[in-house]
Amino acid sequence: MEKITIRVYNIVGDGICVEAEDGQKIYEQLKKALETGHRVILSFQNVEMVTSAFLNTAVGQLYRDFDEKKIKDSLAVEDMLPPDIILLKRVVETAKIYYKDPERLKRSIDEILGD
Amino acid sequence: MDKFELNNVDATFDGYQKLIDLYQYYKSKAFTQMELNIKKWLGANLCSALGGILDKLADENYNVVSSIDASPDTKKIIQKNGFLSHFGYDDLYDKNHTTVKYLKLKPTDGKYFKNYVVDDLLNHPELANITPELKRKIVESIYEMFVNAQIHSHSSDIYACGQFYPQKKKIEFTITDTGIGFRANANKKFNVNLTSEQAIKWAIGQGHTTKTGTSGGIGLALLKEFITKNKSKLQIISNDGFYEYSGEKNTEYTKKFINYFPGTIINMQFRTDDKSAYYSDITQSMENIF
Repeated sequence: MEKITIRVYNIVGDGICVEAEDGQKIYEQLKKALETGHRVILSFQNVEMVTSAFLNTAVGQLYRDFDEKKIKDSLAVEDMLPPDIILLKRVVETAKIYYKDPERLKRSIDEILGD
Repeated sequence: MDKFELNNVDATFDGYQKLIDLYQYYKSKAFTQMELNIKKWLGANLCSALGGILDKLADENYNVVSSIDASPDTKKIIQKNGFLSHFGYDDLYDKNHTTVKYLKLKPTDGKYFKNYVVDDLLNHPELANITPELKRKIVESIYEMFVNAQIHSHSSDIYACGQFYPQKKKIEFTITDTGIGFRANANKKFNVNLTSEQAIKWAIGQGHTTKTGTSGGIGLALLKEFITKNKSKLQIISNDGFYEYSGEKNTEYTKKFINYFPGTIINMQFRTDDKSAYYSDITQSMENIF
């Protein structure tokens, strides 16, 4: 299937990607692309910094809508700064755990109550 | 006119308790002309919290500030950071460059906050001599806390302010909201009855989020990890809960206030003489991310 490039810098409008709202714009494009069977390069060219909130919304949500294999086979990133790659990996791992076991959060609350 | 004395307001449990006392004193009054007398010390970054309280008192019950008196040094610094200009006083030029401007903004003013961080923090003369990696970590932390306030607080305004302490080699930066607080968020989400202290401790855990249907809960965990490596300090005040984490000692401390702060304060202390490698010793592959 055709490969497309989604450019974060262009969608957000600048190189500092902080807000969840901006992440939502990325997510909507990624979701559409994956739903229509495209392979996607998510380009972070000229992006200087991202927050976890931005990435949770931009990428993390995909794990709610698609299985891991689909995302793994369809999505790649390009031109991401090393600190942001570390953060993205953490966001992805957190999302995998969360969507696999949403009850885990409730159990963590029970643990605090038990303290 | 109704006078209130704020005596020695620093970033300690007692200091925050004094701010809470101020709010509690006036919250049952209405249409009052408040005369504040700030005696001795006010940690200038705590203007973030003080501004939130004063606006809350105005919004809720039309209590307005008629005057703010302070010792000459304190008054000077809170004119330099722009705080007093919100209450009828002139700004002063900060020739020592130790202040980071007081900022009040809407949660929707994300772009404006980004510009503030770039102009007032990243390009701040006091940050010129810190390592680029440390600068990035500090800025990342501040962005993460701002966006937390945006997402979770349901506050009409968010307040930010910072202060450099060059001799102590540290910067303190405070983000405040006058929203619903950690406790209400967690209790509503999980239908439980956590105390504020429990809610704060829970929220700092990796992956712990009150967002519905979306993963998250990384920002505070990241901040705590940075504070540990930086050997500095994090304080979270939310409603009647006080939480303090010492990165140097790796210890947590919580305590309950008498009465409550109407929202949340995140106070971050960072050491500016930290030469730790935060990024330079890593190589990261873009393979196998997903």
